[in-house]
Amino acid sequence: MNRSGPGDRLLARLIFAAGAALVTHFALLPDLPDDWRRPGSPALYLTGAAGGLLLLVSAGFLLAKRTGRGGSPVRWFEAHVLTGTLGAVLAAVHSAGRLRYAPALLLLALAGLLALGVWARLRGSRRMAATFAGKVESLLAPGPRLRDQLSVILREKELLLARLDPSAREGTFSPTLAHWLRRPRLSMAYARLAGEESRLLGARRAVPPGQAYWRRVHIALAVLFLAGLLGHAAVVTFFAGYAAGGEKIYWWHLAAW
Amino acid sequence: MAQLALMIDLERCFGCKSCEAACKQEHRLGPGEYRNKVVWLGSPGGGLDFLTLACQHCERPACLRACPVHPKAIEKDPATGVVRVREDRCTGCGECVIACPYSAMGYDPLGHHAVKCDLCPERRAENLPPACAGVCPGRAISFGKRESHLARAAEEGREVRDLDHFLLRPATVYLEPMKRERGLPVLPPGPCERPACLRACPVHPKAIEKDPATGVVRVREDRCTGCGECVIACPYSAMGYDPLGHHAVKCDLCPERRAENLPPACAGVCPGRAISFGKRESHLARAAEEGREVRDLDHFLLRPATVYLEPMKRERGLPVLPPGPPRRPAFPEAPRAQAVFEGNGASFPFGGDKAALRPDRAVPGGCNICFNCCTVKFHFKGEELVNITGNEEDPVLQGRVCPKSQFTLQLYHNERRLKHPMKRIGKRGEGRFERIPWEQALDEIAARLRAVRDQWGPEALALFVGTRTGLLTKNAYVRLFSQLWGTPNMEGTDPFCATGKSIAYELTQGAVGSGNSYTASDLGSAKLYLYVGDNQAETRPVYFGMIHDWRLRNGARMIAVDPRCTVTASKADRWLPIRPGTDLALALALAHHILSHDLHDKAFCGNWVLGWERWRDFIFERGYTPEWAAPLTGIPAPDIRALAEEVARAEGCVIFASRGVNQHTNAVQSNRALMFVAAITGNWGRKGGAFVNMTAGLPVAPDAPANRRVAPAKPRVRRSPGGWLDAMREGRPYPIRALIACNNPMSNWPGQEEVREAFRALDLVVHIELFENETSAFADYVLPAAGGIEKGEVGRSNDDRRVVWIDKLIDPPGEAKPDGWIWIELGRRLGFGDVLQEKYKDSAVFWDEVCIQNPQLRGVTQRRLHSVPWRWVRFPAGSEDAPEIETLYLEGATAPGQPAGRRFPTPSGELEFWTEELEAKFRALGLSALPEFYSEREQLVDMPYAELEAGDGEPGVVSPFHKGTPTGASPARIVQPDGRGPGARLRERGFDTELITGRPPAPHFHSWTHYFWQAQEMWPDLYCQLHPDKAARLGVADGERVRVETAHGEIEAVAWVHAGIRPEAVFIPIGWGERQPFHPWRSVNFLTDRRQRDPISDQTNLKSFLCRVRKAAS
Repeated sequence: MNRSGPGDRLLARLIFAAGAALVTHFALLPDLPDDWRRPGSPALYLTGAAGGLLLLVSAGFLLAKRTGRGGSPVRWFEAHVLTGTLGAVLAAVHSAGRLRYAPALLLLALAGLLALGVWARLRGSRRMAATFAGKVESLLAPGPRLRDQLSVILREKELLLARLDPSAREGTFSPTLAHWLRRPRLSMAYARLAGEESRLLGARRAVPPGQAYWRRVHIALAVLFLAGLLGHAAVVTFFAGYAAGGEKIYWWHLAAW
Repeated sequence: MAQLALMIDLERCFGCKSCEAACKQEHRLGPGEYRNKVVWLGSPGGGLDFLTLACQHCERPACLRACPVHPKAIEKDPATGVVRVREDRCTGCGECVIACPYSAMGYDPLGHHAVKCDLCPERRAENLPPACAGVCPGRAISFGKRESHLARAAEEGREVRDLDHFLLRPATVYLEPMKRERGLPVLPPGPCERPACLRACPVHPKAIEKDPATGVVRVREDRCTGCGECVIACPYSAMGYDPLGHHAVKCDLCPERRAENLPPACAGVCPGRAISFGKRESHLARAAEEGREVRDLDHFLLRPATVYLEPMKRERGLPVLPPGPPRRPAFPEAPRAQAVFEGNGASFPFGGDKAALRPDRAVPGGCNICFNCCTVKFHFKGEELVNITGNEEDPVLQGRVCPKSQFTLQLYHNERRLKHPMKRIGKRGEGRFERIPWEQALDEIAARLRAVRDQWGPEALALFVGTRTGLLTKNAYVRLFSQLWGTPNMEGTDPFCATGKSIAYELTQGAVGSGNSYTASDLGSAKLYLYVGDNQAETRPVYFGMIHDWRLRNGARMIAVDPRCTVTASKADRWLPIRPGTDLALALALAHHILSHDLHDKAFCGNWVLGWERWRDFIFERGYTPEWAAPLTGIPAPDIRALAEEVARAEGCVIFASRGVNQHTNAVQSNRALMFVAAITGNWGRKGGAFVNMTAGLPVAPDAPANRRVAPAKPRVRRSPGGWLDAMREGRPYPIRALIACNNPMSNWPGQEEVREAFRALDLVVHIELFENETSAFADYVLPAAGGIEKGEVGRSNDDRRVVWIDKLIDPPGEAKPDGWIWIELGRRLGFGDVLQEKYKDSAVFWDEVCIQNPQLRGVTQRRLHSVPWRWVRFPAGSEDAPEIETLYLEGATAPGQPAGRRFPTPSGELEFWTEELEAKFRALGLSALPEFYSEREQLVDMPYAELEAGDGEPGVVSPFHKGTPTGASPARIVQPDGRGPGARLRERGFDTELITGRPPAPHFHSWTHYFWQAQEMWPDLYCQLHPDKAARLGVADGERVRVETAHGEIEAVAWVHAGIRPEAVFIPIGWGERQPFHPWRSVNFLTDRRQRDPISDQTNLKSFLCRVRKAAS
C-alpha cells in the first residue's frame, strides 16, 4: 500500500548533506589548488558538465512522466530529486564562488528550484492533505450561471476533441505530449478551453496560493534554468572569447566555426 | 457501465464520524490523510448539519484530467465507474487535489501521493460493502449501483441533491434532509391593495395604475418620467427601474400571457412548482386546505396580494441567526492541529502494509468503551490484531458501530500504554517514578495497606473503581475484595452519573432500567420520541441511529428538550431549549396539564399505579401549571401544553432521559416525575412506550461467604466520592488514609482544587490504569492494567439489557495485567485467597462460577454466550434454555423473579408514586415522596434549592435509599428563594452565565479516547460553546481562547460560537486533562463543586453553575 520512496527524513538528510558539502567545500576553497577556483579548469569544467548532465535527468523525468516511456514515473521522480540535488551541488562547485557573473543567475534559479521542491515535499504536502473537505461550500451553494457557461465550454471541447483525438472521451482526456507535438495548435486551443473550465470551477482559487502555484513556478523556473544552462553551454563553447571577457580562454571550446 | 456509488442520506447522518474511522482503519490512513470526512456545519436556525464527503466518482473526473502523468495515475474503471489512484504511478504533484472542486481528493503527506475513495475493492471482492457503509450507525450510507440508488430515492419520495454544478457528472447520490430550515422569501410581495408606489408617483394622471378588475398594479411607461419616487416608496423593494430607458418597471403578472390563458412566465417555468398563479382567494383556500401556514407580510398595511406559504420547518426555540455562510466548529484545522501527531505516537494502524495485514480470521466480541456496548469482530492476521469492525451477524446492531469501537485498535496498539509497575520517587503530583517488579509492588502495597488498617481501621481504605475497569472488576472482583477487607468506602462513577435515576427506578418500578428493547416491534414502534437531557446521538450513537431510522420509516415525531441544540436536537422535529436544572418543573407542568385535562390513561393509572391520585392532588394544590413552569424552564406555557398533549395522545411515546436530568441535585425527583408522566400516559410496560434512562443495570453483585465478610464498623462516609474529601483531609467523620483508584479521579471528580489537596494528604495512593494521567502523578504506585480483549470481560451495562461477552484474545502490553489478576494477587497477600481464588484470574471461569449466581443471570453462561455468533444474551435469563424476553412488564406478564401475577418488581407489584413506606424514607431525609419542585442553588433566576444540613465531615444519618452498604447521608431542606440566595450573591459578583458540562461528540468517551490519535484528530481541543449574541458582547470570535470562571475555579477553552445554545448559557465538555499527549487542557471539573449533591442519591450537580466568561490572553 505504501510504496517506498524518498521519505521526508531522507530528503531532509539529502539536503542537509548537500548544504554541508557545499559549506565545507567553500570553507576549504582557499586552501585548494588554483584549478578549484577557476570554473573553466579541467576539474571544474568536468564538474560543471557532470552537474549539467545530472540536472538534465529532471528533464528526462518530465518526458518520462508525460510520454509513459522509460518506466515508473515514481522512480523518475526520485531520480530527479537525487540528481537535481547532486547536480546543484556540482553546479555550485563549478561556479567556484564567482557570483558576480551572469551564470550565477543559474545558481539562483537552482536554489529557487531546490527550495520550492523541498517546501512542497516537507510542508506543502501537509497543506495538500488538509485540502480534503476544504471546499465544502461548493457542495452547498451552486453559482447560478455556472452550468450554462460550462455547457458552452464542454460543447466546444467536444468539437475540438473530435479533431484532436477522435478516439478519446472528453471526460477523461487531457492532451499528452504526443498531442502537443502532433497537433500543437489544436492542443493549445484545447488546453485553453480546459483552463477556462478550470477557472470556472474555481478549484485552484480555493486553495492557498502557495499550494496552487508552487508547481507552476517550479516548472517555469526549471524551463528558465534549462534555457539558461543551454545558453551558458553555448556561450562558453561557441563564444568563448565573449565569455572570457578579454582574458585567457582556458577551457575547452570551439573557436573555428 | 453500471456505475457503482455511495448514497448518503443527509437526514440519517448525525455526524458521528464512524465512517471516517472505518475508512482510516481499512486503508491504514494516518493523521491528516483522508478518503472521506464528515464535516460539521452549523445552520442558521441553530441546528447542526453534517456533510459526509467522499469521492464523487465523476463521469468526467476533474482529478483524472488534471493528472500530468501519462498513462494517468488516476483511472476510471470502465466496468464499475470507480475512479482510483494508481499509487505506483503517482508522483505526488497534487494537481488532482487542487483540481477537484469537491475537495474529495486526499493526499498522503508522508508517502507523498494522492489517495482517494475507491469504494474498498478488497471488501467488494468479498461481497462486503465499503467500510464506511458497513459501520454507519445511522444507516446513512448505502452502497450499490447509482441507478438503484436513484430508483430507491424516487420510491421513497426523497429529494436528491443536485451537485452537478460543475458538469462533472458526480455519481455519489446525496439525499436531502427531509425537512427544510426556515428560509427568506424568494420574491418580494405585491401587488398591494394600497400601493405605496402608486401613491408616490408625482405624475398626473399617475404613471402607475391599479387595474380595478384584476387588482394588478402596472407601470404606464408612456407616462413615467423616471423620477424614481415609486422605487424609493416601495417598502418591499419590489419596484424595478430601467436604467437605460429611464423609467420604472415592475411585475404586471404578464398580461400578454394571461391573454393567452397562460400563467405568468415565472409560474410557468418554476421547476419546483413553487409559484402558482390565480385569484388570491383561491390561493388562500388552497393553503388552508393543505394546512400550510401563510406568511403575514402586511407589516406596512399596504395589503399585499401575493401569498407566501411558509416553508415546512423544524421548530426551534431560539431566534434564528441571519442567514450567512455555514458555520463550522471552531477547531484549528489541519495541518496545524495535525502537527501534534508528528513524532508523537500516531500509532497503528497508520502506515501498515495493507496487503500484508489482510486479516485471515475474525473473532466476535464487543467494544468495552461505552454504554452502547456494540458488538464487533476482531480481525487477526496470524496473532496480530489488525482490524476491528462491526459484527454484521448481530441481529440487532447488524454491524453498526461508532468510531470508538474502531479506535480500540489504538488501545491495543498504543505506545503510551502503561507497561510496568512503577513506584513514585518524586513529590506527589510531580510524576517521577521508577520501574519495579510486580512482586515488589504488590508486596509493598499489601504491607502499607496492613499498616493503614492497623492504625486507622479497615474503613480507612477507599476504593474508587471506574467503569474503565469493566463491570466484572467493579461489581465482582473489587466488591469481593472490599467485603473481605471490610471497608464500606467503595464506589464507582455512578454518583457522578447515574445514582439518581437508579434510585428513581428502584422506587418506582422496583428494578433499575427500562424493560424495553431496541427492536422494531418495541422501541421502534413508538410514534413519539421525547428526549429530555439525553443527547443520545452523541452518547449512544448506534442506538440513536436505530431509533432515528425507525422514526423516519414510521413517520414518528421526535422532540428534544435540552439547553443546547445537540446533534439529537438537530435531528428532532422540535427543540425546546430548557433552562438547565428545571426538568422537574417541566415534568410537573406536563403532568398538571395531562391530569387537569383528563388526558391520562385512566385504566393504567387505576390498575397499575399506586398513589397517583395523591400525586395529582399535590400537583394541583401546588399549582404546578404550565404558566408556573414557563418562567422557570424558559419554555413558553403553550409549548409545554402542546408537548403534554402530544405525549398524552401519541400512540406510543418513549421518553428518553439521561445525564442532563441525572446530574443535578434534584436527580431522583426529576427522574421520578418524568417516570410518572410516562406512567400516567400508559407508556410503561408496553411495546413502543417507555421511560428509558440509559442503562439497565446488569445485576452482577456476588457476595463473599458470610463467614468471610468483615462487616464495616462504620457506614460509608457518603455515597459520592466527592463526599470523601473531608475524611481524607481532616479525618472527619473518620479518616480515609489510603485510596486505590482504578480510574482518573483527577479529571472526573468535581471540585478539582480540593481533590488535589485531599490526595496530597493521603498516606497511600495506588493507581491502576491503562495510561498515565493526572491521577498517576499523585500516586505512590502505578499498576499497569489490561483492558477488553487483553483480559476477557463482560461489556458494559447498556440500554438494551444485552449481556455482551468479550473473550480474551491477546496478551496485554509489557507486564500489564488484567484488573482481576491484580485484585486476586493483592488479595492473596492479604489472606483472601480462599475467596479470590487463583482460578478466577480466568474471567470466563469467574463469570460462570461467581458472577451469574442469581435468578436474572443464571442462564447467561459462557456456553450460551458462545452459542451465538454475536456473543450476547438479553437478560433476565433464569436458565440456559430460557427464552429472551423482548419487553418486560407487559400486561398479563409476571416480572422476572416475582410471584406469579406480580407485574412489576415493586413491593406492591404496581408502579409506586406514593406509599407510606416511600414517604417514610423521604421523611428520614426531611423530604417528601411527592416530588416538590426545587432546582440548583446557582441559577440566573432565583428558585428553590436543596440545602444539605450536615457537612461531609459530619456523620449525618444512614440513608434509606442506598442498598447494601450502610451509607451516610445528610438531611436536607428545600430553601425558598428570597432574593438573597447563593445565586443572587454570585450574580452580584458578575457570574452572569449558565455553565453546562457534558459529553463531547461521539468519537470521545471520558479520558481514554484522548490517547487515541484519531479521536484527537477529529475533536482536538477543549471547547466552549457559546451563543453568537454572547460572543459578540464579549468580543470573542470563533476559535479564540476564552477563560471561564466559576466560584470554584477557572479554566480556558476554545470558543465555538454556535447559535444552538441558550443565549445565557455556555457548554464545556468533559474528558480533557492536563497530561494528555496530544491536546492537553485542564479538566472542566475545576469549575464544578463537589458539595452540590442530591440529598436522596448523593448525585452531584455537574450541569448547572453560574460562571463568567471572558476572552483569554492569546
